[in-house]
Amino acid sequence: MSKNETSQSGEDVDEVQYDPASSRYDIFECPDCDNVVLALGRDEPPMSCHDEPMERVTDVEMSVKPPDVRQVLLEAFDLPKAGLDICLCVIGEGPVSANEVADSLGYDRSTITRYLNKLVDLGLLRQSELNREGGGVVNVYHSVDLERMRRETLIGFYVWAGEAASLIEDANLTKQNYLEENPDQELPDVFWDSFPDE
Amino acid sequence: MNRRTTLEHLARMTDAEREETTTIETLVAALDTDKRAVEIHLTGLDACELARIDPDGTVRVTITGEEFLELDTEEAIIVDSGPPCSEK
Repeated sequence: MSKNETSQSGEDVDEVQYDPASSRYDIFECPDCDNVVLALGRDEPPMSCHDEPMERVTDVEMSVKPPDVRQVLLEAFDLPKAGLDICLCVIGEGPVSANEVADSLGYDRSTITRYLNKLVDLGLLRQSELNREGGGVVNVYHSVDLERMRRETLIGFYVWAGEAASLIEDANLTKQNYLEENPDQELPDVFWDSFPDE
Repeated sequence: MNRRTTLEHLARMTDAEREETTTIETLVAALDTDKRAVEIHLTGLDACELARIDPDGTVRVTITGEEFLELDTEEAIIVDSGPPCSEK
């Protein structure tokens, strides 16, 4: 990745541009269709399209704002920094109580419980119930192994990235279709109307 | 010697159902380590409801602690016990 010091909008942000020679990832495309794939840790094309190996993209002009890991986790997994802190806290020596985690991280106890359950939903922790002496249950949260955590987060992010890529493609097709049907008019609100509000 | 090792030794020396206890000194001798370190681990295990420190200074594993060890996992664990039933 190469860096530009200033964005076009004038903000003092380092932008990055895809550089096939140095990037930690590769982008391949089919020369015969619109198929584009992202590959990590591969020197060779990961797949074929139209019975031919896909070709490495080399002519990218667009620069992008480099992602911030906190924003990525928040956007893709709805996991704020507190959730990541808790996740990292589990990678250590246990058992520890939720109160100890809250005290050591400086979060409310309710925040710890909320994100422990969130991490279970994401598949990054496993939950078990133990009988409490005197009645009721005690919840325990186990860390999954690091290899599984790596796979879950990477595939989870790819799902999110696929959804985002589909939205961008939908936007381009909506624009293209509208202009074809209404060559004499400006692109109106129909563009945004095609995307439902969250 | 870590918190889990302390619990494992405590579970061998005591019994939750029969409420058999031991003294901290006996546990320290069994672990052959520093008393202060054992006390810190026991306080942490008590907070997790995996061990119980009685007012007379004796200690024992709890039913929860025995079930915890039966999970047979070396993975780090967070115990979220919530308030006792009487406080809910």
